[in-house]
Amino acid sequence: MGSEYAIEMLGITKRFPGIIANDNITLQLRRGEIHALLGENGAGKSTLMSVLFGLYEPEEGVIKKDGEVVRINDPNDANALGIGMVHQHFKLVECFTVLDNIILGVEPTGKFGLLKKDEARKRVLELSERYGLQVDPDAKISDITVGMQQRTEILKMLYRDNDILIFDEPTAVLTPQEIDELMQIMRNLRAEGKSILFISHKLAEIMAVADRCSVLRKGRYIGTVNTKDVTVEELSAMMVGHNVNFHVEKKEAHPGDVVLHVENMTVASRAHKNNAVKNVSFDVRGGEVVCIAGIDGNGQTELVYGITGLEPLVSGKIVMQGKDITKASIRQRSLAGMCHIPEDRHKHGLVLDFPLDYNIVLQRYFEDHFTTHAGFLRRGNIRKYSDELIDQFDIRSGQGSATTARAMSGGNQQKAIIAREIDRKPELLVAVQPTRGLDVGAIENVHRHIIAQRDAGKAVLLVSLEMDEVLDVSDRILVMYEGEIVGELDPKKTTPEEMGLYMAGAKRDTAGKKGA
Amino acid sequence: MNKKVSLLKKPAVQTLIASLLCIVLGLLIGYVALLLINPAGAWDAIQSIIKNFWTYSKHTTQIKNLGNTLVKTAPLLMCSLSVLFAYKVGLFNIGAAGQYVAGAGACIYCAVALGWNWVFCMIAAILAGALVGSISGVLKAYRNVNEVISCIMLNWITLYLINTLLAGVKEPTSNYTYSITKRLVVENGVASTVPNPGTVLPSLGLENLFNNNKYVGLALPLAVVLAIAVWVLLNKTQLGYELRATGMNKNAAKYCGMQDKQNIVMTMAIAGALAGMGAAMLYLTGIQQWSVTQSSVPSMGFNGIAAAFLGGLNPIGAIFSSFFIQHITDGGSYLDMRVYSGEISDLISSLIIYLCGFVFFFKTSLTNAITLREDKKLLDERRNKEGGKAS
Amino acid sequence: MILLIQYMLVFTSVLMLVALGGCFSEHSGVINIGLEGIMVFGALGGALVMKYMPAQYGFVFVVCCILASMLMGVLYSLLLAVAAINFKADQTLVGTAMNLLGTAAATVIVKALNTAENPNNPSSTIQYIAAKKNFLIVDGYEFNWFMPLALILLLLSYVILYKTRFGLRLMACGEHPQAASSVGINVLKMRYWGVMISGLLGGFGGLVYITAGVSEWKFENGVAGFGFLALAVMIFGGWKPFRIALAALLFGLFRSLSNVYTGFAFLNSLNLPSTVYNMLPYIISLVVLIFFSANSAAPKAEGIPYDKGSR
Repeated sequence: MGSEYAIEMLGITKRFPGIIANDNITLQLRRGEIHALLGENGAGKSTLMSVLFGLYEPEEGVIKKDGEVVRINDPNDANALGIGMVHQHFKLVECFTVLDNIILGVEPTGKFGLLKKDEARKRVLELSERYGLQVDPDAKISDITVGMQQRTEILKMLYRDNDILIFDEPTAVLTPQEIDELMQIMRNLRAEGKSILFISHKLAEIMAVADRCSVLRKGRYIGTVNTKDVTVEELSAMMVGHNVNFHVEKKEAHPGDVVLHVENMTVASRAHKNNAVKNVSFDVRGGEVVCIAGIDGNGQTELVYGITGLEPLVSGKIVMQGKDITKASIRQRSLAGMCHIPEDRHKHGLVLDFPLDYNIVLQRYFEDHFTTHAGFLRRGNIRKYSDELIDQFDIRSGQGSATTARAMSGGNQQKAIIAREIDRKPELLVAVQPTRGLDVGAIENVHRHIIAQRDAGKAVLLVSLEMDEVLDVSDRILVMYEGEIVGELDPKKTTPEEMGLYMAGAKRDTAGKKGA
Repeated sequence: MNKKVSLLKKPAVQTLIASLLCIVLGLLIGYVALLLINPAGAWDAIQSIIKNFWTYSKHTTQIKNLGNTLVKTAPLLMCSLSVLFAYKVGLFNIGAAGQYVAGAGACIYCAVALGWNWVFCMIAAILAGALVGSISGVLKAYRNVNEVISCIMLNWITLYLINTLLAGVKEPTSNYTYSITKRLVVENGVASTVPNPGTVLPSLGLENLFNNNKYVGLALPLAVVLAIAVWVLLNKTQLGYELRATGMNKNAAKYCGMQDKQNIVMTMAIAGALAGMGAAMLYLTGIQQWSVTQSSVPSMGFNGIAAAFLGGLNPIGAIFSSFFIQHITDGGSYLDMRVYSGEISDLISSLIIYLCGFVFFFKTSLTNAITLREDKKLLDERRNKEGGKAS
Repeated sequence: MILLIQYMLVFTSVLMLVALGGCFSEHSGVINIGLEGIMVFGALGGALVMKYMPAQYGFVFVVCCILASMLMGVLYSLLLAVAAINFKADQTLVGTAMNLLGTAAATVIVKALNTAENPNNPSSTIQYIAAKKNFLIVDGYEFNWFMPLALILLLLSYVILYKTRFGLRLMACGEHPQAASSVGINVLKMRYWGVMISGLLGGFGGLVYITAGVSEWKFENGVAGFGFLALAVMIFGGWKPFRIALAALLFGLFRSLSNVYTGFAFLNSLNLPSTVYNMLPYIISLVVLIFFSANSAAPKAEGIPYDKGSR
């Protein structure tokens, strides 16, 4: 125990084909502290953690535990050193029980490798009582809440007697109240002598819970500070490299006619037997941004599927500019002026193996300008149009229009989608988490485009999980909880705390169910 | 140096290298198998597989047998087009074999029992193949049935159905169907045949080039034209754009309003039509008759898989790979049957399919290795440049 | 009637064994389209022992046949394992190649052996009339030792999958390999196990198949799509051992009809051509797939090569 540090990562460099994910990074975690690792998406945090877990082998650098150099070749080595992690995307097997997931990899067994589950169950219940982590060991993961899934992940670490605990973006999926609980759990763990590494890009949370903070930017190490000694603004400047304006500049909204009218819409769920969207009604007018807020998985995805036609309605009615489009095909809706920035750009938004120009015309390749009457593509026109948009929206890629979409960065992929959708002159823009995974500069850019559409008198329906985005960009907020719209809020008057209560289902409007 | 590296990164060059490697490795393993069976004659044996018609010393015989190989290359090319077309849309058409059987049954029946002209016989074959293909397509699109399993089931069902159908037009003294140049006439329960040469594909005078090999004709030129047509369809048209988008990402295709399910059905119908037409290109030359007791599906459809992948899933590449596969398949028949079996060619072509499974890995490793080397250079340059500055 | 039950049980055993094989492979995350080829090689292994080993050893003889078929199945399945697990090959393509290769290679081998004995016998048939008698429990009936063994393997499969550490880890690899890997499970190794077990069961299934009511086998014919019928059984059985057994029973019934339908007055009176009975298993499996593919309980990660980097 010659060192004050539990874990040190010194001079880590990790390259992938085409990118340098970590360039000479240093991170030192003291015993018994909560240490934040701050950086934007793509700053290299996840890669660094994968190196710590032996998932990647770094080209350069060493890892020390208690001052001694250690080699970590796989997660087993990390586990043996007492390092555990709650991953951003939970590493839980959905069709297994909580108990099975906790013991997976360290199963207590008897003769012939037969499982001794009773023993394990007793231990799990003990731990869950001691740390106040309530779970049902025999429930299936697919049936429990996200909060309980996260507690399962924490129990996984405690079951393994880990004393270095890593939390990778743990608050992204939680309500403000759940976040408070998690902070308390983290403090309890620190009191029990655990060392905690807290990975996040949310400054307020870091200021609230962390003792120290290390900052990464674009794969490089910027520095480490005591959170007591810095302000939020200073931290933010370290993260993005310049001072950023957190507030979105926008003028007063002037809502016009109703563009989208949704009436008693019910949509089935792919994941379970219940309906994902239950009897939802609301309007979106021209010249306003209506935001659907809520915790991930409360029916927002299916709501958008229903409106855009990706999923048929169980019941209800959708009217766009006075025309009933309930039964209209996706193409008909799109031609009627509905533009859709999808939630998952890799699943829906792009054909990754097509070149950029083919992706740019994905919504209009069939127009006369791009296809002859005989059905042949006009490749010259496609290329020209794509070049124009690339210029106009500042989409950066290796070989311009000819670049394969897969080879582009996430931010530029998103820019391409936004360019494609906005240039179609939408009457209604449906934007689902349009800033997910983007860095601060790109986020500002996207927000500007959305506000510009609003100011041009178009209707915008924004679905977002980010509290700041909801409050900054929208003109009206509809909160979804378990498939229903439980409240309508005015962004100018509400607070994050009040929104949190709605998002958690603790509060709901009874009268004003329908927004107007 | 730099130029050479970028050349190796080109997909077309990589595909060519990979295909050649597959061929060399396949032949090598085939040679080892021959060595194990009988070391003494192995060298001669592998030579005769590779030589095929060059085994003969006389030029005229060579050219005549080259003709035979070309006649069978046409249907093989069609089957490989069928496989690669479906694969571009994300479907594995192992059912080309059964669609081929359906096409064979339809054209033989229409020729012998109905006495139709070759054009109509061929159309019947196309439709029969398309029908069988579209069944798999419908099941895939609307019932999420894995197309590989449904195709295999349909292969067997089709084989039994066609055997039953063609049992009605078989020669009384053998298990083979009547030659397509004859029409079966049944009067008062007595069967007789009348000549009906209109069922044979036109030769276009090509037989003269191949020492009067009367089977050479329209088939191969037509198949090559169709290969080019498939290439144009996939790469230059709106339909090809839609189909390829569906194959690469069916969720994105649905998102932008393409009819993903209809596209799947249409793809399988077109794939089936290609395979069915391939059968007509063989059986309407009269080179072969159908044995109604055959208990396994003809290997043409399966060899089509080999040709499609060996050709780098490119219709133009498939022209050459089809010829190669047919070349070694025919070469297998020149082996000394008392020592070696002709199936050694099947062994080699199935080995080639197996090896094609490694092509993707080969290409990505090659590209990654090159990119990593380039990156390292960039990184070193960046470090050197910043060496003076404080970190 | 006895005849029908005999055949039904034999074919049920075959389908169940092979489907269980597929089940292990898919639970580990690898789609095994190559079961057909694995069966052929397993059958070849067993047939070679029957051809060359003196039959008088009884019990030892039976054990040797079984072990040979299993060993051949496992060795052959390694072709899939290497390509799919280490080289991330398209599993459908490789499986298809294995099916074609299985028949071609077995034919070449058997023909080579036959012509070596007698240059005028270039056939791909192996006979084992005397040898086969050793397998029968009661002489004169088609009840053989393979059936109780298949039953034991069924129970064992259930216990292994649901009651042991190995099973828990195997299924984790097929459902969420990144999760398995994050707790230190070697996904590649587990997938090797899954594929090799499918080779073991599939190879044994091949042996059972070629001794079902016949005493010689022509290897040119492969195993007539039985590997694929087994895949249909596996899907119908929802990737669960006992349901697979029931599904196999149903398919076994339809398959055996083509062997014995002439023995039933009722079926004879229908006067259907024999082709109908030949097609029946394939048609039934298509119908079953139509109804059981829509909401499949397939392991979530099957068919996707495991890449350490992806999260």
